[in-house]
Amino acid sequence: MKPVRRAWNRLVGAFFGHRREADLTREMESHIAMQAEDNERAGMTLEEARRAAVLKFGAVESSKESYRDQRGLPQLDLLRQDLRYAIRQLRKTPGFTVVVVLTLALGIGANTAIFSVMNRAMLRFLPVHDPKQLVYLNTTLSFGAQSGDGDTSLTEYIFEQLRAERRVFSDLVAFAPISNQKVSVRYGREPEEALVDVVSGNFFTGLGTAATIGRIFGLEDESSHAPLAVLSYDYWTQRCGRDASVLGRPLFIKGIPFTIIGVAAPDFIGVEHRRPTDVWIPLQTQGELQPWGQPPAGGLSLYGSAHNWWCLKTIGRLQPGVGRTQALAQLQPVFQRAALEGALRNPKFDKPKLYFTPARGIDGLRDGYQQPLTALMVMVGLVLVIACANIAMLLIARNAARGREFSLRMALGGNRSRLFRQLLTESLLLVTMGAGIGWLFALWATQALATWTQLDLNLSPDRTVVLFTVGVSLLVALVFGLAPLRSVVRTPLGLALRTSAATANQDRGRLRSSQVVLSLQIALCLVLLTGAGFLVQTLRNLQHVDLGVRTRGLLVFGVSPQNIRSDAEMLRFYQALLDRLRALPGVDAVTLMRQRIGSGWSANASVQVDGTDPAGDGNSHIRWNGVGPDYFHVVGTPVLLGRDFSAADTASAPRVAIVNQTFAKRYLAGRAPLGHQITRGNNEPCTIVGVVADSKYTGVQEKEMTMAWFPYTQFEGISGMHVELRTSGNPAGLLPEVRRAMIDFAPDLALLQPMTQEEQFEQSFSEERLLARLSLFFGLLAAMLVATGLYGTLAYTVNRRTMEVGIRMALGARRGQVLWMVLRGSLLVGSIGVLLGLPMAIGGARLLESQFFGVKPGDPRFFIAAAAGIALVTLAASLIPARRAASVDPIVALRFE
Amino acid sequence: MKETNDIWQGTLGLMVLKTLDVMGPLHGYGIARRIEQISEKLLTVNHGTLYPVLLRLEQEGSIESEWGASDNNRSAKFYRLTKAGRKELNSEAQHWQETTEIIARFFAARGASR
Repeated sequence: MKPVRRAWNRLVGAFFGHRREADLTREMESHIAMQAEDNERAGMTLEEARRAAVLKFGAVESSKESYRDQRGLPQLDLLRQDLRYAIRQLRKTPGFTVVVVLTLALGIGANTAIFSVMNRAMLRFLPVHDPKQLVYLNTTLSFGAQSGDGDTSLTEYIFEQLRAERRVFSDLVAFAPISNQKVSVRYGREPEEALVDVVSGNFFTGLGTAATIGRIFGLEDESSHAPLAVLSYDYWTQRCGRDASVLGRPLFIKGIPFTIIGVAAPDFIGVEHRRPTDVWIPLQTQGELQPWGQPPAGGLSLYGSAHNWWCLKTIGRLQPGVGRTQALAQLQPVFQRAALEGALRNPKFDKPKLYFTPARGIDGLRDGYQQPLTALMVMVGLVLVIACANIAMLLIARNAARGREFSLRMALGGNRSRLFRQLLTESLLLVTMGAGIGWLFALWATQALATWTQLDLNLSPDRTVVLFTVGVSLLVALVFGLAPLRSVVRTPLGLALRTSAATANQDRGRLRSSQVVLSLQIALCLVLLTGAGFLVQTLRNLQHVDLGVRTRGLLVFGVSPQNIRSDAEMLRFYQALLDRLRALPGVDAVTLMRQRIGSGWSANASVQVDGTDPAGDGNSHIRWNGVGPDYFHVVGTPVLLGRDFSAADTASAPRVAIVNQTFAKRYLAGRAPLGHQITRGNNEPCTIVGVVADSKYTGVQEKEMTMAWFPYTQFEGISGMHVELRTSGNPAGLLPEVRRAMIDFAPDLALLQPMTQEEQFEQSFSEERLLARLSLFFGLLAAMLVATGLYGTLAYTVNRRTMEVGIRMALGARRGQVLWMVLRGSLLVGSIGVLLGLPMAIGGARLLESQFFGVKPGDPRFFIAAAAGIALVTLAASLIPARRAASVDPIVALRFE
Repeated sequence: MKETNDIWQGTLGLMVLKTLDVMGPLHGYGIARRIEQISEKLLTVNHGTLYPVLLRLEQEGSIESEWGASDNNRSAKFYRLTKAGRKELNSEAQHWQETTEIIARFFAARGASR
């Protein structure tokens, strides 16, 4: 009881003790005064009495000191003293402090931000029960599926067969978006875009996630294809303001009524690629709510007897204790039997295989982002290393400059461990401030990254990210902890009494080690600069690719008509839409396209020319698109031969097609293209009526492909289309007018992803742009850090060598010689750095190759440019100190001490 | 005299407690004077060393302090024994008694054996 009470009081004293300090002084003074009074009464003079009283009391300060030791916790007091002293020291040199803290904040913050994205895209598990048991099912089929993801799509029949394998899966769930983009969803009055997934009945239960309010689907909802909807928590928040009364209300998806039955868990944003899912509905049979992609010719239903619509993506939950290899061995025969029944179209794929990928990160993002994110992570890591080296050097130089202070303190009886503690406190304070600001910076940078990458995801840091940041900071703190240790160990006792010139020799070791550090920094900087050079050139190449399309002046948006029953009705709708838009002021021309160019999506098919396989190896493919009248005129692709599509190419007119140059060259070599018949898949043959110049379809990086276009009027099952508007003015400025016209024309239709065609194509290299910008930023940052490090070191050594320079000049050295003496040193450091960095840079470029466009990783120009950049930085950083050395006045220098 | 801190502080503490028990509330100077008087100047200490002891006793809850006026109307801090302090004093006094008796017997025994 007693010790506990005392410990508590000491703890309190440690924090509030300073208030008792005045109290104690007062008490002691009153003690001495009373003693003096008594002494006076005993007959002493006033002066004697006071003196005797003080003597009697003993050493006041030492009493106070032992009083203090008992009052608080001496360790804590010591820490507080160290902290106060450190803050005072740092405040005395605000420039140094700001530079160090900001450098650290930038380094730690950038690392945290990149890691956040990496964590989200590649590492984080789904926020569901026991996510490690979950696997995505992939197939070795990459061509042949009708959805966008050939290697993850299964038929409904295969899904059911696999789901029945209860020894392997405790559950297998299926899901698919109903469109490769957002669709019109109406809650209340106004239609909006939302991402809707059709899912199997066990989707939520199988994944292991519960409802926030209401209920989730059951298996009976799948078998009855119930018109029920579960909203995502975010969609519920944004659209319905977290109103619990949404349950039971109607939600119109593509104009079809659904009833809201529940809201998903707050952190569950679905299992889709890139974007969070807004609404889930059970698997449907209605044509408009089928999974995405192109259903096989002749059938629109998932559940036909042909089992040949490959469109469902699946996630399995393995039974506890079932290994992946074992699971695959059991599933393979079941899958192959079901796949064969699913009438695989191409005999080449007769033995497709299943394999698993772990359900971490984001499906589809993992592969696409792994390389660039890893590259970025390495880059920021290098920047942090350079920054740390710089700060460590700065700290060492700073502590060396305080060498006299240290040795004086030791000469007066301070001990080394106390001094070390003091310096360590200073370093740790710097790291803590850097990490704190870095964290704030990271929060901002992560949001910026999310915007740039168009990852519509919640990237807020989780525990892994926090641990990462703390880990990095600790590592940095360790490095900086070692810097003061060195200073302390090296401080000689007698330094305070000696002149600094006499100790110049002792600096040599320090100089050499800082030269080694500088060389390494320069080596790393070379790697970063080279990488940045390649990536920036890649971006420039991408920006200057000839698209074959005049994107300037084009506005594009999607429409998805609702409640239209027949193809004829659909054609009338689009005809009326075109007429309406054409009449708008400022619109020069309008056309339609089935797939939006530049969006990454494309329709692909096998093709025959005049009834035979033109490539002769059973592998003749085309990228094709269904387009409206005047298409090539509107998008600005030159027609080289024949004609453009026109309003006369109606559903009843003869079937026609237009091909591109590559098609003509590859599949019609030497023959006059016009008049030949081409057949896409199992469709009717069409006559080639035109040849157009090559143009980009999916995106800027697309290689030359064989392409063909068909009038949108001449095939079955058209639904959503994209409208392309040409204006001579600013296309984005046209949007409000178009919106008004559309509300007038079809009040239920949302404009899907409206943007300029230029933006759309730029999006196809947003990753490359991000990578180029960040790598350039990091490269320049590294160069700046190297420059400041070099400058700092040189300025310091020149200062220390003032007397030596003075003597040299007094003995007849010319200014040029002195200048060269300093420059030679830093050029040597620079050259060694470049030599060290070159192999790393060459290796790095080879690793980055897959991110390049139009540049070869062996291209010497980039290495030379980076080396030249480093030479420039080295010279610039050393010129000022070198000139200062050269302008030393020998007389002044010799009197320096 | 040789003073290891603990023993010295312990005995001084006990003296303080006993003083306050006998005299009632008293300031630091009064306590020091009283200890000097009782020990008949055999024990002359620097008065300053008293204060860490007072602090410890206060932290342990054996005494309380309060500012007040001295006989000469000088403001001084007065210390007072608490209930816990009185208990502590009693048990310590008993403990001390026992210890001195045992030590005394040892000294006596050594003399007899010779």
